[in-house]
Amino acid sequence: MSEIYDIGYRHYDGPRLGRGHTTRALTVHSLRGVFGLGRPARSKLVPFSLAAIMVLPAIVSIAIMALMRRAGMSYSGYAVIMQAVVAIFLAAQAPTVVAPDLRFRVLPLYLSRPVTITEYVGAKVVAMTVALYALLAVPLTVMFAGELLIDLPGPPRTKEYVGAMLTGLLLAVLLAAFGLAIASLTPRRGLGVASVIALYLLASASVPIMYSTLLSAGNDAAARWAWLLNPFWLVDAVQVWVFGTTPNSEGGYPGGPVSFVIVVLLIAAAVAALALRYRKAASR
Amino acid sequence: MHILDTEGLTKRFPTVTALDGLTVTTGPGVTGLVGANGAGKSTLIKILLGLLPPTAGGARVLGLDVTTRGADIRRLVGYMPEHECLPPDVSATELVVHLARMSGLPRTAARERAADVLRHVGLAEERYRPIGGYSTGMKQRVKLAQALVHDPKLILLDEPTNGLDPRGRDEMLALIRRIGAEFGISVLVTSHLLGELERVCDHVIVIDAGRLLRSSAIGEFTQTTRSVTVEVDEGTQALADRLVELGHGVAPHGRMLLVEVSGPDTLDAIRDATADLGLCLIRLERGRQRIEDVFREAAGV
Repeated sequence: MSEIYDIGYRHYDGPRLGRGHTTRALTVHSLRGVFGLGRPARSKLVPFSLAAIMVLPAIVSIAIMALMRRAGMSYSGYAVIMQAVVAIFLAAQAPTVVAPDLRFRVLPLYLSRPVTITEYVGAKVVAMTVALYALLAVPLTVMFAGELLIDLPGPPRTKEYVGAMLTGLLLAVLLAAFGLAIASLTPRRGLGVASVIALYLLASASVPIMYSTLLSAGNDAAARWAWLLNPFWLVDAVQVWVFGTTPNSEGGYPGGPVSFVIVVLLIAAAVAALALRYRKAASR
Repeated sequence: MHILDTEGLTKRFPTVTALDGLTVTTGPGVTGLVGANGAGKSTLIKILLGLLPPTAGGARVLGLDVTTRGADIRRLVGYMPEHECLPPDVSATELVVHLARMSGLPRTAARERAADVLRHVGLAEERYRPIGGYSTGMKQRVKLAQALVHDPKLILLDEPTNGLDPRGRDEMLALIRRIGAEFGISVLVTSHLLGELERVCDHVIVIDAGRLLRSSAIGEFTQTTRSVTVEVDEGTQALADRLVELGHGVAPHGRMLLVEVSGPDTLDAIRDATADLGLCLIRLERGRQRIEDVFREAAGV
């Protein structure tokens, strides 16, 4: 290997870019990691299969619109109907974004560079948000493009599409912040997957039970609150409040901005948890 | 300009004082930071990187204050941690390119620099394989490469020879020497093994329990003692007698003689005496004091 050593050392006098560049590069790097790009094929299997499953109902809807000349799936209900797929995606991929750097103590290599802990965590949250948003926005957009091309009788459902796209973004932020906070508390990837999925199952399985129990007790108003315990129905409640869509739950939601306030508080709590977790990790 | 200087630098943790009024300056070249485990070496490095605020006193790295210019320091400095810090499922190339970009290098430059630096630390084809399968020596090289990739002015190496076998240790030390001498990058290297720093450092700082024991150039550390060791094939006694006759201080030391040096003429006298007696001179060597002795002296052990 001695001949390798013979190449003299060259100094670098090119540009050194600022924070914007490094944060963007870290975001793109993390986003690629979510979808397993630049990794072995088996890392791509789960994210791309789930993304494909997400698009299937959109394609079926286009077929229904084309062949039966009537509206397919609603835009506003897409996220709620497909919530299990989105939740599995979050559980499976959130740990890949945060767990390795914590588990293998890579963080000091970032922090000894101009990257701050806030930028690091911010890049991770943005990457996960973009990934989740892509998961929701791509089938919605495919479906909308199909609707425009097929040109059904009556005006296109543009308002509903835009509403679903905007609430989808809110849902993506909420899920990303929460998923990463939970995953960062469990540096082992498998454990992270299990805890995110367990929490989701708890929220999705218990909610209909609570609803029917409260309903049979004759407490209709309280029953409607039960839906807000699940993030997908919670964000659907925001959609109902802002865009006046049909609720995707039995019996509707409590009215007014309360659901939106809860979403904002939950996002703040998740971000605070992340900040605390990483402040501790940074001081190690 | 000083590469780094500290002034009464103190760091107290709730239960322990890691650094206690440390005042030290170093110039360019390779500087060794020696101390037992827990002497405060890693704490000092974290303060120098601007990642840990000092309790009292101050420090400057490349003329930049650690408390206010941390981000600027981290742009110009490379850091190799003591602990394992490499994700196993990515290749060395991928990791080093990514970390180059985290230091602000554009994509193309990051790729070129990563390839260059990995070659310099001696990683060839294996740099495309996942790090999980690397030996300890290869992992240490990757850790060193990521510290160098952005062409820093100074690199801080925390126990770079830890866990290496003797050969890996030699190679790592040679590499550190090259970085300081050929690459023109100043180095601060910590170790709890004194002997190995002797071989690569221009300057050595010895700390113990967060206090400065000694800071001086390596020449002063291993300053030549005022004696030479002489070894001849046969006739040791004859040579000793002759030198005593000429008025030199001679002490037997096993099969060798320790001769006190009063000036250059002592060496001439030894040469002439061996020649006159027709002896075969095997060794004529200046006795050197080793860092260990200094440390022992300073620590009062």
